[in-house]
Amino acid sequence: MTVSSSPSSTGSIGRSASARRPISRTLSPRRRKEALAAYLFLAPGFLLFALVILYPIGRAFQISLYHWSIAPGLPSQYIGLTNYSHELHDPIFWRSLVNTGFYMGVTVPAQIVIGLMIAVLLDARMPARAAFRTLFYLPVVTSWVVVSLLFRYLFITDGGLINWVLHDATHVSNHNIDWLGQRWTAMAAIAILGIWKGIGWSMIIFLAALQGVPRELKEAAAVDGANAWRRFRAVSLPAIRPVVAFVTVMLVIGGFNVFISVFLMTNGGPLDETQVLLTYMYRQAFSFLDFGYGSALSFTLTVIVFVLSVTQLRLFRRPSEAS
Amino acid sequence: MVGGNVRRTRAIVGGRLTLLTAGAIVMIVPFAYMVVTSFKQNALVLEIPPQFIPHHPTTANYHGAWSSNHFSRYFVNSLVVAVCTTVFAVLLSSMMAFAFARFRFPGRRLLFGLLLIGLMVPTMMLLIPQFLLARQLGALDSLWGLVFFYTAMNLALNTFLLRSFFQDIPRELEEAMVVDGAGPWTRYRRLILPLSRPALATVGIFSFLASWDEYVWALTVINDPNRRTLPIAITLFQGQHSTSWGLVFAASLIAIVPVIAIFVAFQRQFVSGITSGALKA
Amino acid sequence: MRRNRMLVLLVLGVVVAVSAATAGARVTDAKKKTTITFWNAYSSDGPEVKRLEKVIIPQYEKTHPGVIVKDVAIPYDDLHQKLVTAVAGGQLPDLVRSDIIWVPELANLGVLEPLDKAMPDFKKLKSTVYPGPLATNYWKGHYYGLPLDTNTRTFNYSPAALRAAGLSRPPKTFAQLKSYAATAKAKGLYLYAESGTSGWNLLPWIWSAGGSLTNRSYTKASGYLNSRKSVAGIRMLVDLYKAGEMPNIVLGGNGGLGTYDGISQGKYVATLDGPWMFAIFAAAFKNTKIAGTTIPAGPGGSVSVVGGEDIVMTHSSKNKAAAADFMRFMLKGWAQNEMARAGQMTVLKSLTKQLIKIHPYYAVYLKQIANARPRTPTPKWPQIDQVLETKLAKAFKGDETVQQALDSAAKQIDGLL
Repeated sequence: MTVSSSPSSTGSIGRSASARRPISRTLSPRRRKEALAAYLFLAPGFLLFALVILYPIGRAFQISLYHWSIAPGLPSQYIGLTNYSHELHDPIFWRSLVNTGFYMGVTVPAQIVIGLMIAVLLDARMPARAAFRTLFYLPVVTSWVVVSLLFRYLFITDGGLINWVLHDATHVSNHNIDWLGQRWTAMAAIAILGIWKGIGWSMIIFLAALQGVPRELKEAAAVDGANAWRRFRAVSLPAIRPVVAFVTVMLVIGGFNVFISVFLMTNGGPLDETQVLLTYMYRQAFSFLDFGYGSALSFTLTVIVFVLSVTQLRLFRRPSEAS
Repeated sequence: MVGGNVRRTRAIVGGRLTLLTAGAIVMIVPFAYMVVTSFKQNALVLEIPPQFIPHHPTTANYHGAWSSNHFSRYFVNSLVVAVCTTVFAVLLSSMMAFAFARFRFPGRRLLFGLLLIGLMVPTMMLLIPQFLLARQLGALDSLWGLVFFYTAMNLALNTFLLRSFFQDIPRELEEAMVVDGAGPWTRYRRLILPLSRPALATVGIFSFLASWDEYVWALTVINDPNRRTLPIAITLFQGQHSTSWGLVFAASLIAIVPVIAIFVAFQRQFVSGITSGALKA
Repeated sequence: MRRNRMLVLLVLGVVVAVSAATAGARVTDAKKKTTITFWNAYSSDGPEVKRLEKVIIPQYEKTHPGVIVKDVAIPYDDLHQKLVTAVAGGQLPDLVRSDIIWVPELANLGVLEPLDKAMPDFKKLKSTVYPGPLATNYWKGHYYGLPLDTNTRTFNYSPAALRAAGLSRPPKTFAQLKSYAATAKAKGLYLYAESGTSGWNLLPWIWSAGGSLTNRSYTKASGYLNSRKSVAGIRMLVDLYKAGEMPNIVLGGNGGLGTYDGISQGKYVATLDGPWMFAIFAAAFKNTKIAGTTIPAGPGGSVSVVGGEDIVMTHSSKNKAAAADFMRFMLKGWAQNEMARAGQMTVLKSLTKQLIKIHPYYAVYLKQIANARPRTPTPKWPQIDQVLETKLAKAFKGDETVQQALDSAAKQIDGLL
């Protein structure tokens, strides 16, 4: 039968937009022409990608199999999977895994929900719409370094803005919370920074997606007597489902790759309580010069993220009901 | 419209406005603090508790930041690199996304999977292998080298995003063109690209921002102070023992301006109605 | 659509033109002369880099025609990472102003030039500098750099806060530290605030107590780090903390009241810090005067820790002779004096009087640096420091007794040495 994969099994996200195949699907020359065209479109970008990204990934994996010495003149010692087994016995590795998972579990849903909410609010004729879009996007365009230092300052225990609001101004809390001095409050502060900085990003994407939902569909549902929420659920949400999937995958990847904010706000401290995978990797590689171990940590991270992403893509792939 | 509907619409709009304003205020507070501090004199320390009103506001920090140590040159360097990267990244990734979204060919799943893996690998870890590669290619200490690497680094994300948008464009329109005898490049240029303007604008903004803000790689490969990019200039205001916060914030705010300008310029692409006409259900 | 395309092409054209123009401009001046690249971590708005670029380097280039010195400033927090990457990629500069704790690591990687072999006048240069800073360049029998600037920590306090704590003098001995701390607590102040438990923070106390981190040849920690004297020194501080006489920032978490803020707010009386503290207070905390004195003396005397930067030459440098010349220049009295005026403490023994004339507060630092000791010069220092920091913090928190913490720390450090 046909050699190529069916429309829905290509790992595509969300709906199979069209299940119709060209009538002449069994003709090889046409398929060959199609493949050739595809390769031509792919070639420039993919070759660049392969050279700059894939090849270094291979090298990095190779490094993870060695007790690697960074000076070109000194020999590196092949140790196979020792770095990986060392990882499994490293309590700080597990702790950083938990911290990273926490960060991701908090920031990803928050960014999706809030970003979507704001996008919906902005997806209508409104005064000052462009201004709002820009305002919400401002945190996204500011450098991580500057914002991390700023937030570290805002979360200072005695006299920081956050505690001032919570304790002195609104009396929500009865004492000054030592945000950055303990594990979970510090992770919460870091997560708040992540959410604050990321909302604009998902908002923009959702906005672009919502703009693409044909107004006729929304209007048709309105004529049918559905209220705003039901219209949203029945029309907009399914229509942007692939985009939601995309945003989720990207935010998960970003969540796992959190680095600068942790590095500058707590540097993994106090006492390695708030280490995340990348800060721990950075210390191993660049402070302790153990690149083999650092690479192994990175690859473990990659594998975890990959598995998670594929799972998410599969979950989102159920065919949609709307047509 | 009926009178009651008008009142309800106004109430809805009012409600939305309130929510948005409240949200925007929360977003803005840290910024407000940055802006205020950038107008403070000699802010070597951030005061506790935070002062939102500077005692003697001054624009000295902005003058200082802009005129310090080649800052304007770093600004131009970053601009050049970011613009070039955006152009190439959008072009190459839209071509790749088109191929992934519209064609069937052997290896499609594999290649896309490789692209995804490129997304998931922490870039920190690739620093040294990429540095060795850059050295072999002679791409060190060069702005074009930066463009080369930045474009590559942006391809995976952009292709991923564009592919999902391209998949949403109904095939009927394209098939009509095929019947008319249009080849793939024509379809790409005349149909897909114009129809996905919001997505292209989004990807353009992302590429520009990624390149504009990129710090680690630029720090690693660029040694010639004449070729430095902006993020390094900002970080250089942080000393070993103390940081000139006024300068850092002033410099950061200067750095935000172009991105906001690009963003505002591209915002017009997010106009609804352009797409709804063409995409009949 | 056409207009957009034109716009894009126009932008591209401008961009290409600009980059081509800037690319061409650089090549011309570098051709005939020797260029030495010098990496440092001066902050870009600081007085040091201004003096380096506007005074020192022009003077050098005037007296050494045919040589251009290109100084490249790299943010301090990233300099080590950049060095590591440069090592891996074989792209090191000629000279680096390296933090003293990195020199053994770089030397161990084989990327530094042993100066005692490469410079015939090394012995003479060696004798002009303080022994403490010089020792930071020593690794496996050779010297791999020369000290460029140095600093140490002294006991800096606010006289106003001292009086508010009911005291008339700063503590001069361990015993006085203990009793004064109690007095200060009674008045609601902390006498002494320390911001962490790493080597830089607490080694002065271990040494002043008569203990040490390792033996003289830096090969063993057991028996030294956990000796009775070392333990006593740490225990004194832990007791202060447990009695509520030391603030909790010693545990290292961010977000607490920092030493500078605490002193300026009158909540802390003193801390240990380097000469930059005076410059920072003069600029940012104008209302708080501070003074310095030597660290309270214990059974081992008043011993502080050496900080600072060394100037090192890379093995891969293609201009070793010129680089060595620049090094000599930087270590001569004139250049050292210029940098001293910019706030960098000189390493030359002969400039003592000049230094005090420039800034009177240097007097205490000069006294303290005479017998200050370096942190263990070994490539594994970052790991050792990490062990120290973690274990000592446990001791402060009370998770382990001081003896237990130091015992296990010593054992771990043995494995690293």
